[in-house]
Amino acid sequence: MNEIEKIGNQTLSPLGRVGEGLLSIKNLKAEIEGKKILNGINLEVKAGEVHAIMGPNGAGKSTLSAVLAGRADYDVTEGSVTLDGKDLLDMSAEDRAREGVFLAFQYPIEIPGVSTTNFLKTAVNEKRKYQGLEPMEATDFLKLMRQKMEFVEMDKSLTSRSLNEGFSGGEKKRNEIFQMAMLEPKLSILDETDSGLDIDALRLVSEGVNKLRNKDNAYIVITHYQRLLDYIVPDFVHVLYKGRIVKSGDASLAKELELKGYDWIKAEVEANAKII
Amino acid sequence: MLLENIKSEYNQYKNQAEESAFFQLREKAFAEFDKSGFPTIKNEEWKYTNLKSIFDKNFKSTCVSSASVKNLLVDSLFNSIKANKLVFVNGSFNPELSSIIEKDSAIVISNLAKARKENTIVFDAHFGNYAKIENESLNAMNTALMSDGAFVYVPSNKKVENPIIIINVVDANDMNVLSQPRNLIILEKNAEACIVESYISVGVNASFINVVNEIYVNENAHLEHYKIQQQTGESYQNNYTQIFQEANTNINQVTLTLDGTMVRNNLHFYMNGKNCDTLLYGLYITEGSNHIDNHTRVDHAMPNCQSNELYKGIMKDKSTAVFNGKIMVHLDAQKTNAYQRNQNVLLDPEASINTKPQLEIFADDVKCTHGATIGQLDEEPMFYLRSRGIPEDVARKMLLNAFADDIAEKIKIPELVGLLEQLIEEKL
Ligand SMILES: Nc1ncnc2c1ncn2[C@@H]1O[C@H](COP(=O)(O)OP(=O)(O)OP(=O)(O)O)[C@@H](O)[C@H]1O
Ligand SMILES: [Mg+2]
Repeated sequence: MNEIEKIGNQTLSPLGRVGEGLLSIKNLKAEIEGKKILNGINLEVKAGEVHAIMGPNGAGKSTLSAVLAGRADYDVTEGSVTLDGKDLLDMSAEDRAREGVFLAFQYPIEIPGVSTTNFLKTAVNEKRKYQGLEPMEATDFLKLMRQKMEFVEMDKSLTSRSLNEGFSGGEKKRNEIFQMAMLEPKLSILDETDSGLDIDALRLVSEGVNKLRNKDNAYIVITHYQRLLDYIVPDFVHVLYKGRIVKSGDASLAKELELKGYDWIKAEVEANAKII
Repeated sequence: MLLENIKSEYNQYKNQAEESAFFQLREKAFAEFDKSGFPTIKNEEWKYTNLKSIFDKNFKSTCVSSASVKNLLVDSLFNSIKANKLVFVNGSFNPELSSIIEKDSAIVISNLAKARKENTIVFDAHFGNYAKIENESLNAMNTALMSDGAFVYVPSNKKVENPIIIINVVDANDMNVLSQPRNLIILEKNAEACIVESYISVGVNASFINVVNEIYVNENAHLEHYKIQQQTGESYQNNYTQIFQEANTNINQVTLTLDGTMVRNNLHFYMNGKNCDTLLYGLYITEGSNHIDNHTRVDHAMPNCQSNELYKGIMKDKSTAVFNGKIMVHLDAQKTNAYQRNQNVLLDPEASINTKPQLEIFADDVKCTHGATIGQLDEEPMFYLRSRGIPEDVARKMLLNAFADDIAEKIKIPELVGLLEQLIEEKL
């Protein structure tokens, strides 16, 4: 543990807490089919930071990621979200992506008939178009793809197949990180990327994320387990419960949760509710 | 008017000196047609497909062909594909435009009018045996008036090396064209062939093609059969295909209807032996005010056979489509596996589809499932693509292409699949 902490501090101190405000979520409330799921989220993420979000099943973690990524099923009833000062909630899902938001899905879906390569080429070039750049040369694109594939040690044969079709659980997760590496987003939200990865893949993917980290980008890492945070050491840990962030702390909070579970936090929340 | 055209054409045959046996068949068929007339929407099987817009047109069966036919062929999907090609223009065989590359002289790839004279034994043994004329007035009309079509005979244990492409060209440059192609395809035991039926057209006038395909597949034979319909202009087509399967036969059938004012396909499989394996795939893309109707029927008459059917449709504008899939499991057909799915994507609020699966099961030990979906594209894949920065319209195109290509890819001629996918992409 000690050693990992040290590594964490070494990698973090030059990066963390120095960046500009990147993502700003204020009093965000969202519901689906009249069911209130997010009940006033506040979160500030600066460039260079890693925020971990933990919390019991059904707390609203995936809902928060979906709302940030622009999924239309959810109604945002209150609050604001800005990325680099721009109103995110006003943008289409594709514009958010091209502005630099990336969501690595908890359950990446299979899209039969859409080839992984063609999909990525389209995504990369649409982003370039948005930025006023020419489409990438085919050979440059293939080179980039090869390079990023090595990065997450993704099997070459996967890119010639349909998107995620018949991929194993771990292969799907790896594919998400591969896409992230290709698109170089400003804000990456990793929704339980660790679930389904074997021990080696977890290390590999985490190392990949650590290599991609720099002073200009930020990560929101949703996880249930300390294991991932041993590798990707967060600057902040937040606990989401019943659609609210009910506790925030540094990396040590995750360790405390690992030991004690959520009951004490739930009790705190209930007690506070009574006082009010 | 159409009716008068047909009667006068029949009278011409009456005055010709044809072999009497054959004319007797015409006579019987014509009487059958005369009795029931054209199907109307009162007929349950024709409830959603109304032929009446062709009744008051004046049609001619004609064999003239303009220079534009050649260009049409050069531009067609098949120009660069290595295959045996039988070209029919307005129903007449055109030997100059056709090319047979098969080297094995025991395999017959020819036209029906010739085969009637030269392959009499096979012809007599099969012709008219599968496409019934009773209560099928359009089959009866075809039988009464047919003049030519493709004839393929693959003897036992023979494999046709290259695909056989039957190209039906309509040249409606000078007048409204009526043609009634009649194809007869025989695969003997253990034979193997890949047959493509194609429909293309040129010219501003209307056309009505009334096709009958009779296909006999003897034991252990393997047939790849593809129908590619892409007639443009004001074109009407009724296409009847009866495939008669003996034991242990294996068939992969793909029907792609990419154009046509009104197309009605009647595709009928009859499994007359055990262990048959039949795949039926269909794709229809409709636009404008076009109407495409696919009626399929699979008769499981014997035990241990399997059929798997998947038809997909994409409807645009005010176009309409019909899917009616009947699976008939006869009393003796135990251990039948029959699956059927029909998936439709409506791209415009005024587009519509009538879909009706019909399962009639008389055996007790069978596995049958069916399902139909109608709707827009799924939200989930759409969101996935958009979340990677792909704009909505591009994402929709990608998903629609994937939806359609899935069917095109069932065709086992790789060069053709590539061309078809390009064509589909342009259409969508
Ligand atoms: N489409 C929906 N319709 C109805 N309820 C929904 C929908 N999506 C989410 N919910 C509900 O919202 C709540 C939050 O779900 P969410 O997936 O955000 O939880 P989570 O924190 O990611 O949980 P987990 O840790 O299990 O992944 C749950 O009670 C869930 O059932
Ligand atoms: Mg979740």
